[in-house]
Amino acid sequence: MKLSKEVLGLMADPLHQFKIEKIVELPTFHIGGVPVDLSITNSVMAMLIAVGLTCLFFLLTTARASIIPGRGQVMAEGVFGLIDDMADSIIGHDGKQFLPYVLTLFLFILSCNLLGMFTYFTATSQIAVTLTLAAMTILLVLAVGFIRNGLGFFKLFVPSGVPWYILIVLVPIEVIAFIMRPVTLTLRLFGNMLGGHIVMKVFAGFIVTGLTLGGLGAVIGLASMGTIVALTTLEFLVAYLQAFVFAVLTCVYLSDVVNIGHH
Amino acid sequence: MTTATSPEATLSADDATGASFSATPSVTTVATLVPGQAVAESQLPAHDAHATTETVGAEGQHEAKEGGLPQLNTDHWAGQMIWLVVIFLVFLTLMAKVFVPRLRTVIDTRGATIAEDLANARANRDEAEAQAKQAAAETAEAHAAARKLAAEALARSNAEVAAATAAEDEKLGKRLAEAEARIRTQRDEAMSHVSDIAQETASLLVQKLTGKAATAAALKSALGKV
Repeated sequence: MKLSKEVLGLMADPLHQFKIEKIVELPTFHIGGVPVDLSITNSVMAMLIAVGLTCLFFLLTTARASIIPGRGQVMAEGVFGLIDDMADSIIGHDGKQFLPYVLTLFLFILSCNLLGMFTYFTATSQIAVTLTLAAMTILLVLAVGFIRNGLGFFKLFVPSGVPWYILIVLVPIEVIAFIMRPVTLTLRLFGNMLGGHIVMKVFAGFIVTGLTLGGLGAVIGLASMGTIVALTTLEFLVAYLQAFVFAVLTCVYLSDVVNIGHH
Repeated sequence: MTTATSPEATLSADDATGASFSATPSVTTVATLVPGQAVAESQLPAHDAHATTETVGAEGQHEAKEGGLPQLNTDHWAGQMIWLVVIFLVFLTLMAKVFVPRLRTVIDTRGATIAEDLANARANRDEAEAQAKQAAAETAEAHAAARKLAAEALARSNAEVAAATAAEDEKLGKRLAEAEARIRTQRDEAMSHVSDIAQETASLLVQKLTGKAATAAALKSALGKV
């Protein structure tokens, strides 16, 4: 009874994959009374591997960059061009100066998502990670907004050419929308990664339990197998799409503060 | 003490459900997993020895109460955030200082090269077109010159022919006139002999018919009547 419960619990627990485990123990610091455990956990390791592989890829493909590119260089230039064009078309002429940040953000999320698809830990399914990414983006947006416009930043909440009686309603809405931006950025990426991986794990559990039951269970197991193949392809799409969406929204938010008064 | 036990309780709970249900390993894991709070732990085992069964039970409840989402456990948030910021900044620096400039340079260079090649090709084409136009113009000019030359030559030869013809005509006319003059003199000369011959013939006829020579005056008057 106890054993079967334990086996089922291990097998069917789709949340086990999100559990943080320490790999290298490092000392804990206290910053303002908050304990900061700097141990390298599986989440940190996933980020290190993802960023390391991405850097290695770019290091190799751009080391001997030539006018007639090789295969790797075409891929690197493709990713670069994708984000460069997007930043340029959304932000406008100033898009180039924000490109390194947007590109880094995109590649970081994409590589973490994809690493999660290859059975190791998915760092972007940790709300702490997505929250930090969103916070960095919003802080950058605020910094750019205040540096470029000073107090003119607040014009962001007051659309021009709108009568005052509508502004009374509109300004609070705009402020709330702005405040919700980091929240939606955090939860969109977190939710997509969490949901996708839970669903995959659940169906993977169905395969094992179904096949061990035999009979009708085997049919269910095989059906789950088909489902999980389809879901995996979908998850690859989601992995790319969420990284791209994050980058696009970052560009949109930057564009808002770069081009205040132009819209 | 109460604040310190809550994370430990969850940690040992995770370990207990995952690996074993016996009391002693859970105590050791508590000791190893929380190195920073050794002082607090010296009191803990004594408390823990009789409390293990209830902690295990409480852990089960605790986990169920949290809804099982490990991400919402804020114990690991700060470490992850600091590491993320560090990794991200390193990545951003590499991107901004190395990869983006490299890619930007090579893409710009390619664009410039292609533009230059296109401009060269266009210049070459324009030059070729200009040369073709020039060649056509030269051909036309040559044609015109040849035509002019031919016309001149024709005109000159026509003039020469005309001159030669005129000279020949003149010469012939002269000879003709000479011949006509000669003929006229000869005829006049011959005509001048006609009256003499007629007088002679008439005197001879008269002599034969009458047997007597006619006088010169009679002959003359007779001839004058003819």
